[in-house]
Amino acid sequence: MKKIININFHGRVVPIEETAYDILKQYVESLRKYFDKEEGRDEIINDIESRFAELFSERLKKDATCITDEDVNAIILSMGRPEDFEREEMAPNGGSSSAGSSSKGSYQQTSQESYAAEEPRRLYRSENDRLLGGVCGGLANYLRIDPAIMRILFALVTFGGFGSGLLIYLILWMVLPSKPLAVNMRKRLYRNPDNRVLGGVASGLAAYFHIDVWIPRLIFAFPLLVSLITSIFHNIWFEFDPRPVFITGGFGFTLFLAYIILWIVLPEAVTASEKLEMRGEKVDLESIKNKVKSGMEEFKTKADQFSSEVKDRVQHIGYEAKQAGQAFAAEAIPAARRTGSGIGHAIGVLFKAFFLFIAGSIAFALIMVLIGLLMSGIGTPPFRSYLLTGFWENMLAWLSLVLFLGVPAIALLTWLIRRIIGIRSRNHYLGYVFGSLWVIGLFSFLTMVGMMVSNFRTMASVEDETSLVQPASGKLIVKVAPEKVSYYGSDFFGFNWNEDGPFYSLREDSVMMTTVRVNLVKSPDSAYHMNLVKFSRASNPALAKEMASRIKFFTRQFDSILYLPRGFAITPEEKFRNQQVLVIVEVPVGKRIMVDGSVEDYHFFSIDVNRRHRGWNVNWNDEWDGSLQWSSNVEYVMTSSGLERTERRAERDGDKSGEEPKSSEGYRYKGHPDSSVQKNKNRKISESSGGEGMIHEAVMIRNEKNMVSTGADTNRETDNDQGAGMLVGLLSLLEKF
Amino acid sequence: MRKGILEFCILSIIRRGEAYPSDIVEEMKTANLHILEGTLYPLLTRLKNADMLTYRWVESNSGPPRKYFSLTEKGQSFFKELEATWNELANAVHTLANKTESIPDSTNQNPSF
Repeated sequence: MKKIININFHGRVVPIEETAYDILKQYVESLRKYFDKEEGRDEIINDIESRFAELFSERLKKDATCITDEDVNAIILSMGRPEDFEREEMAPNGGSSSAGSSSKGSYQQTSQESYAAEEPRRLYRSENDRLLGGVCGGLANYLRIDPAIMRILFALVTFGGFGSGLLIYLILWMVLPSKPLAVNMRKRLYRNPDNRVLGGVASGLAAYFHIDVWIPRLIFAFPLLVSLITSIFHNIWFEFDPRPVFITGGFGFTLFLAYIILWIVLPEAVTASEKLEMRGEKVDLESIKNKVKSGMEEFKTKADQFSSEVKDRVQHIGYEAKQAGQAFAAEAIPAARRTGSGIGHAIGVLFKAFFLFIAGSIAFALIMVLIGLLMSGIGTPPFRSYLLTGFWENMLAWLSLVLFLGVPAIALLTWLIRRIIGIRSRNHYLGYVFGSLWVIGLFSFLTMVGMMVSNFRTMASVEDETSLVQPASGKLIVKVAPEKVSYYGSDFFGFNWNEDGPFYSLREDSVMMTTVRVNLVKSPDSAYHMNLVKFSRASNPALAKEMASRIKFFTRQFDSILYLPRGFAITPEEKFRNQQVLVIVEVPVGKRIMVDGSVEDYHFFSIDVNRRHRGWNVNWNDEWDGSLQWSSNVEYVMTSSGLERTERRAERDGDKSGEEPKSSEGYRYKGHPDSSVQKNKNRKISESSGGEGMIHEAVMIRNEKNMVSTGADTNRETDNDQGAGMLVGLLSLLEKF
Repeated sequence: MRKGILEFCILSIIRRGEAYPSDIVEEMKTANLHILEGTLYPLLTRLKNADMLTYRWVESNSGPPRKYFSLTEKGQSFFKELEATWNELANAVHTLANKTESIPDSTNQNPSF
């Protein structure tokens, strides 16, 4: 199976095999080089070409449908190759020149001149072998080394020497004259397009040094593999670190850079003769024939493998991208790549490398983040025991962890290693096994999420009415109790849960929740009252009610000060079911109330999985809903229309000796017509029931905290709500499943 | 093959009439002189550039038009010179090669006493 192309050859259309065309082109090129210094070069080549054309048409007239490799090779054989001319023509001819008349002598002279021996070596820029200005090609020609080596040297000097290489290059570019130079190397570094993963660099290197292709590949991929493995293990057993280590590591980066440089610098071996040069074989007829033959066989085997290769999706995509890139390059630079397509090629490679780099980093980071999240969400003991109930949920969690995330990671590793070593098996049992395991993992993950979500389906509340001792001063202060509960400092996830999280202590046996909210309402009578409403979610109302009743939230009162606990504890047996406590303080009209800044440390959030009824899924008491807005550390007085700041009231009453000077900005109470929304603390529960509302509220809390800075306890860290925001976001994400 | 000889051969073929390069190759082949066609073209071009040869295009029914070479006057005289030189050389070689008498032995000039 061979591709046949039509060429316009000396005014005739000649159907010719592509490989034969390559050979012909190569032959003509070699003639051109050989007769380079000859005065009538073009004419000679023209004559030879027209002879070829004649022989081709003779051949086509007979029986052939197209010109084959054999035809071309036969003609070349009778024509002779430049090396053969050399043997015939450069034979010692002193005798004939000495014995000759004047006119003969003059003829000999001209012919002698045309064969002038090696002219004194001069440094030129190469016109025919160049990427930018041909400086490297010229230098390599002068020094008789591989241009690729020269280019690598320049690239290294440029990258390593802060651009000094570039400067040298530019100077040489300006100084040196340009000249077409013959390539004097039999062996050159090329990129091998037949056997490649990315750019064929490793494969070309292997061909150059005559080693197995997996050796350079492994060397290039080694840092990647090592970091992949270590980071997976690191994530499993230690902490979560999504950085792509293979890029940041110095050694890995050097190799990565080396690959990119080689990709840019090395030309691709396209023609048969270039492929031979790549392997350092002598370019002559026989070897080209062998090469073409073996190429055909290789093609056959390749065709056999093709069906299996198609399934290799990743490679396929890569291939397509490469094709697109090539098509682009072909469109953008129609000239042959030897004649100045260097810049386009370099840019193309840089783009490809950049794209691959970005895509690879993103994929890597994504995998790491996923693994990290699941590891911490399921794998770590404290969280697991609070979220999951029963054998099945735990089982599913582990299944999804191992299969849903572990299998792709292992599959990726396997694929990489196999690709590098070059194993390509026909059967895809491994792929099927990986695929089905992953599907199992996916299902178990979804089931687990479903089960977890069902645990939050319904909500129930339990109400406790606690009587308050009526304070003698007519003023009640609501405060969070100073430290009584022991707290367990644990630097979990790298940030301090004690300050930032909705639960401030996470241990194997208990977790402290701070999902507490204080609501102020008007008392129906002339006494202070307090209602504690405890909420919990569960899979059914009865269970939820039981869960809610288990919340232990004890308040204490010392005359005018009402102490609330820092939080409430839940145990692994109780599980985390978004338990919440609502403290409703009923203030009688005319009495004063102040909420201490310490109350701001509560982190209230809700999870709502029931999309059909937005909002709370419990019997809601209107009285609770009618909470009044308040700011901490501000003293209010209850009026018939709602809360009012004490100093406002004093002002209105003409009593100018107000208490403390408070910043009046940012404070509004309910019913005030010109209240600006952002500055308000909206304590309406109904508005904050959804996940979105929660984040909104978190933002508002922060705003308010920044404004209310007159609090007594300024030593508290108050601007740190990210933790809550993050977790709330996560939970609201979970809810959407 | 020595350069002068090859040119001499080519000119002696073209001398007999217009010739096409592949005809020249064939002719030489029948005379048992094997040359590569590729070496012929540069020689012809050089001779043409030295005004020894001239050519004209002849339409061919199998391929592009052919170049038929013929001798110029300068070529004629050059051929004569070559011929003379060749004959000289051939004669000299022939004479030398055909001499059978042995060269006087110089070692015998000084017999041992």
